[in-house]
Amino acid sequence: MSDDPNLELFDGAPPPPPAPPRPKVWSVSQVNRAVRGLLESSVEPLWVGGEVAGWTRSRAGHCYFGLKDDRAQIRCVIFSREASLLPADPEEGMQVRVFGELTLYEAKGEYQLVARRVEAEGAEGLWRLAFERLRAKLDAEGLLAPEKKRRLPKAPACVGVVTSRDGAAIRDILSVVARRAPWTRVVLRNTRVQGEGASLEIARALEDLAASGMCEVIIVGRGGGSIEDLWAFNEEPLARAIAACPVPVISAVGHEIDVTIADLVADLRAPTPSAAAEAVVPDGAVLLETLRRANARFGRALAGAVERRRSAVDQRARRLERAVERRFVPARQAVDRASGRLERSARSRVERARGALSGLVGRLDALSPLATLGRGYAVARDADGHVLRSVADLPTGMRFRLRLADGTVAAESLGPAAREETQRG
Amino acid sequence: MAEISSSELSLEARLRRLEEILARMESDQVPLEEALNLFEEGVAHVREAERVLAAAELRVEELLASGRTRPLDVDES
Repeated sequence: MSDDPNLELFDGAPPPPPAPPRPKVWSVSQVNRAVRGLLESSVEPLWVGGEVAGWTRSRAGHCYFGLKDDRAQIRCVIFSREASLLPADPEEGMQVRVFGELTLYEAKGEYQLVARRVEAEGAEGLWRLAFERLRAKLDAEGLLAPEKKRRLPKAPACVGVVTSRDGAAIRDILSVVARRAPWTRVVLRNTRVQGEGASLEIARALEDLAASGMCEVIIVGRGGGSIEDLWAFNEEPLARAIAACPVPVISAVGHEIDVTIADLVADLRAPTPSAAAEAVVPDGAVLLETLRRANARFGRALAGAVERRRSAVDQRARRLERAVERRFVPARQAVDRASGRLERSARSRVERARGALSGLVGRLDALSPLATLGRGYAVARDADGHVLRSVADLPTGMRFRLRLADGTVAAESLGPAAREETQRG
Repeated sequence: MAEISSSELSLEARLRRLEEILARMESDQVPLEEALNLFEEGVAHVREAERVLAAAELRVEELLASGRTRPLDVDES
């Protein structure tokens, strides 16, 4: 034990003889170094549980905090390398457990716990915390709103996949697509899906694939794993890339129990890559059946249209008929009435005419020269038929014709007769 | 019309159009002339869609950093 000069102080060796009382004086550094060595060599790394107090993160990325219970406190530090692996900084007063080594910070003479891991509320506490923080942040920006969710295409010609070329996810997806929709084109963008910086790498892969413009929908995912393995899907870069993606995104992280941030931002969350593929491509057999039924529906719809047309025509014809009837019944009655009147009036007119005619005939009879001739008159006419009215018309020796009631005789003028005879004739 | 029945139309667009056609044809207001046109168009879409579905070989590619793609052979085990 005394081989170690640092431990000489604690050897418990008897003090030197009193003679020259010149005590050995240790420098502060020596003491602290000795105490540090003692601490580090005699205390195994250990878990310490307590409440977090005054957590601060330096610019270099180291985190300093206190760990306390109701009576005591230990100074703790977690250096940047380990601190960067923490999903989240714990909150003040949070119950955590810290795994690390005890040491002494020589510059201040303070002993402290150099933490390697900090965990809260079981193994997932800090993950949960980081998750909730990012979720709240994205939610406040509206990126998780249900109305942000886009509808997936029903039968995409090209499906994009962002995952590892070597993982189970791509194989699962391909086998589902090949079974259900083998006409589909699948384009993979290979990426790491876990480890430091994976979230950013997946985000870039998603952006590249979206920018290629080939895909109508993109699956982002990986097979199952521990919460650390899946952590890339809970980080901000991927969440933002999904939200900004111009085509719908389906998250497919093979871990059915926990929802990832990527699941929340994506347009659809599938519990596994296979399920994502099922959601993305239609089942060819079902689609074919739908198409066949569509043909039948076309036929029925067309027949329906024809039938509707026919019944519309029938209906119109019936309406027209009724309308015509409605309009023509009064007209017909009017016509009937009118024709009755017409007939009656025509008949009476004919009768009146007939009466008038017989009157006329009587008068005509009376006017006829034949009747006058019948009464004993005669008409003298020359050869041309001109009526001879005057003695002067009949010079002596002129031959003329005399019309009597029953015939005509030829005559010759013998010259003017005695006055009385002439006047009487 | 030529554009609609063209084989360039994606399966997706074709299925969507089929839905529209069916909805229109099955509505009560469609006039017979339109129904006839829709019927012809619909049947053409169905035929084209069935032709697309008949392709049996899954095409799998990988998008490279160059922006090009190359055929990808994933071991399906």
